[in-house]
Amino acid sequence: MKIANRSILAVTAAGLLLVGTAQAGDPELGRTKAAPCAACHGEDGMGTAPNFPVLAGQYAGYLVHVLKQYRSGERENALMAPWVAELSDADIADLAAYYAAMQGLVVPEL
Amino acid sequence: MRLRAVLTGVALGASLTVSPAFASERPAAVETCLGCHGIKGYKNVYPTFPVPKLGGQSAQYILDALRAYAENTRPHSTMHANAVTLSEEQKQAIAAWFEAQGREEQDQ
Repeated sequence: MKIANRSILAVTAAGLLLVGTAQAGDPELGRTKAAPCAACHGEDGMGTAPNFPVLAGQYAGYLVHVLKQYRSGERENALMAPWVAELSDADIADLAAYYAAMQGLVVPEL
Repeated sequence: MRLRAVLTGVALGASLTVSPAFASERPAAVETCLGCHGIKGYKNVYPTFPVPKLGGQSAQYILDALRAYAENTRPHSTMHANAVTLSEEQKQAIAAWFEAQGREEQDQ
């Protein structure tokens, strides 16, 4: 029983470590995975029509949040839902890192 | 219904394209936005994630987002509380102003 508890602790600790590092995506892997995204968001991440958001330069952490919201259905969007349904957390992190590394959006200075 | 949506879109497109003059002047309603969106690296809490960059974002997309927040079809309590107080004209002015803040140039 003690050993079992210790194993559970170890697994939990490992899981927490994974959660902690989950957002560090690989932009190069993201480039490959983003091929279908370009149809609407553009090869340059600038969006191909006014109703499609610019992704270039957006914070990776925000993009991760949004993609997970789409995946869970918390944020409903008929266009995005089919694209995110099969994405793993790693896929999401890689895509976010890819777009975040581009030059684009800025924070307006006061 | 679809025709109405298209017509609304056309009307909006027109109103957005004729507004650059007043997009250059910061609308009063933007002050509230900048409390979070004007601070680099500012974080939303519960859950924690960076507040999105809006400078250079598509005005149409921002307008769509503000309407969705106001109608609660896009969930976010703080954004709902803010968006629900805005008139359509204020939403359009905010959207146009953020788009006009430009984007970093890409090296291509």
